[in-house]
Amino acid sequence: MRPLRSDEGMQREWIDGSATAEVAEQFIKPNDRLDSFQRLEIYNQQYWWRLLGNFAEDFRGLRAVLGDAQFDRLAVGYLHDYGSTSWTLRNLGSRLERFVRERPEFTAPHTSLAIDMVRVEWARTIAFDEAEKLPLLPEEIRGIPPELLRLGLQPYLVLLELRHPVDKLLGKLKRQGEIETASLSNAVSSGRPRRRGRLAARPQIQPIYLAVHRQNFSVYYKRLEAGAYRLLSALHAGMPLEHACVVACEATIDSPEVIARKMKSWFAEWMSFGWLTKPA
Amino acid sequence: MPASRFNAFTDYGIGIGLRIPHYQHILEKKPVVDWFEIISENYMVEAGRPLQVLDQILEQYRVVQHGVSLYFGNADRPNRDHLRKLKRLVKRTGTPWLSDHLCWGSVDGRYTHDLLPMPYTWEAVETTAANIREVRDFVEVPLAVENVSSYAEFHMSEMSEWEFLNEVVERADCGILLDVNNIYVSSKNHGFDPQTYIDAVPAERVAQIHLAGHSKFEKYILDTHDHPVLDPVWRLYARAVGRVGRTATLLEWDDRIPSFDDVHREALKASRFLPHEAVAA
Repeated sequence: MRPLRSDEGMQREWIDGSATAEVAEQFIKPNDRLDSFQRLEIYNQQYWWRLLGNFAEDFRGLRAVLGDAQFDRLAVGYLHDYGSTSWTLRNLGSRLERFVRERPEFTAPHTSLAIDMVRVEWARTIAFDEAEKLPLLPEEIRGIPPELLRLGLQPYLVLLELRHPVDKLLGKLKRQGEIETASLSNAVSSGRPRRRGRLAARPQIQPIYLAVHRQNFSVYYKRLEAGAYRLLSALHAGMPLEHACVVACEATIDSPEVIARKMKSWFAEWMSFGWLTKPA
Repeated sequence: MPASRFNAFTDYGIGIGLRIPHYQHILEKKPVVDWFEIISENYMVEAGRPLQVLDQILEQYRVVQHGVSLYFGNADRPNRDHLRKLKRLVKRTGTPWLSDHLCWGSVDGRYTHDLLPMPYTWEAVETTAANIREVRDFVEVPLAVENVSSYAEFHMSEMSEWEFLNEVVERADCGILLDVNNIYVSSKNHGFDPQTYIDAVPAERVAQIHLAGHSKFEKYILDTHDHPVLDPVWRLYARAVGRVGRTATLLEWDDRIPSFDDVHREALKASRFLPHEAVAA
């Protein structure tokens, strides 16, 4: 579908330069109140209002970062270039990070924060309803030497390295009264979604390591130490436990005793969350 | 029709659409409701809260699945990955029948997420019926197709909407989800007599009826599902159940959703129009 005009009407010029009204007349019947152009326009508007409304629900944080006008331009640009290729609107934003990186002009001067926000908001979609495997039991790995032991992570767990405190920003947004879920229906929309306030944050000097995960059917953000993030990422990449631990300790200034204590505590926590599974 | 092969010989009464704002009320208060209709796509996920809530609902209530993305009228054949997920949900819910719309919505892998009107041609009849048969054979439950509300008609159409519906369901040998609000909306937008439509539908194939509210604009009516059912739609409903008999009836309310009790109360108004004995509520 072609984007609407700035006044939310259908474009008067067709893709080949001819008049849209003439094109519409070729296949849409007029009635006694609406001409062919106007009847086609109803569908054109409903398409954009439906998708933009859904998009705004999925990326409330990004909308709050960019402001309504810039967010709308981004959404139209993205949906124009990356129209939906899935039967479910749940996947509408699956390629948004790629688009924001490809077309920074849509998010400037907030591109860096926008990328972080998109990554976290898409991770939230994954965490909300992605599959859950049976958590690993200690007896299932007992006796396997660490140089051979490989561990998997839950499909709903997303690990992110960020420059901005997006988790804090989303917490602020949630306290403003946002709702965490969305659903489909077959009703049409009678208008655009309502508008909300802005979010801003400076980039942090140190990276922020974030796990977006699900616990008791709710989505949570958990900050990780750098070593914990590296260890989980290495396990996720398929490295054996021993090698993953070596990767996790690179660049650390902690003593071996401290590292050992931390790792014990990390694994205990991850097991309690059910994050560790058999490898895929 | 009550208890036909198109609704798996069930005799459901008046139900309402299961919507997120009502989850807490339903799970805590456990109101008496004959059945809930769910939008299949909202639960065709791998895990998480949607399925957790659905499982709790299934412990207490009868559930029927209604879809919004099978697009029987597409030129493409049904998506197998989609059907596998749908069948997995069918097994979970035990839905006695399954419904979706007589429309198209995607082309060449690009989805509009809208219920687009069909050109009522013989070629479309054949394509649509073939798609319905393929879906039904895959999911292995009776299928009912729903007439959509529409805002445009095509020059190329070779028959009326009701003639098209009848030809499709006959060739697909499937049921009908008769949406009387959609008939009313389309009749006003296209200038036909909605009673003619109701009277033309093969009564023996009507597996379920939909009711909803709509919004009137200056030059057309939109199927917004954000109002109570309007009187002309109730009158059409009365005519429909007069023809087809007591039939599973469902109120859809998708936007500006009021309290559960308000929605349920509105749905139960349907019992005034049902023939013979009162319907379980």
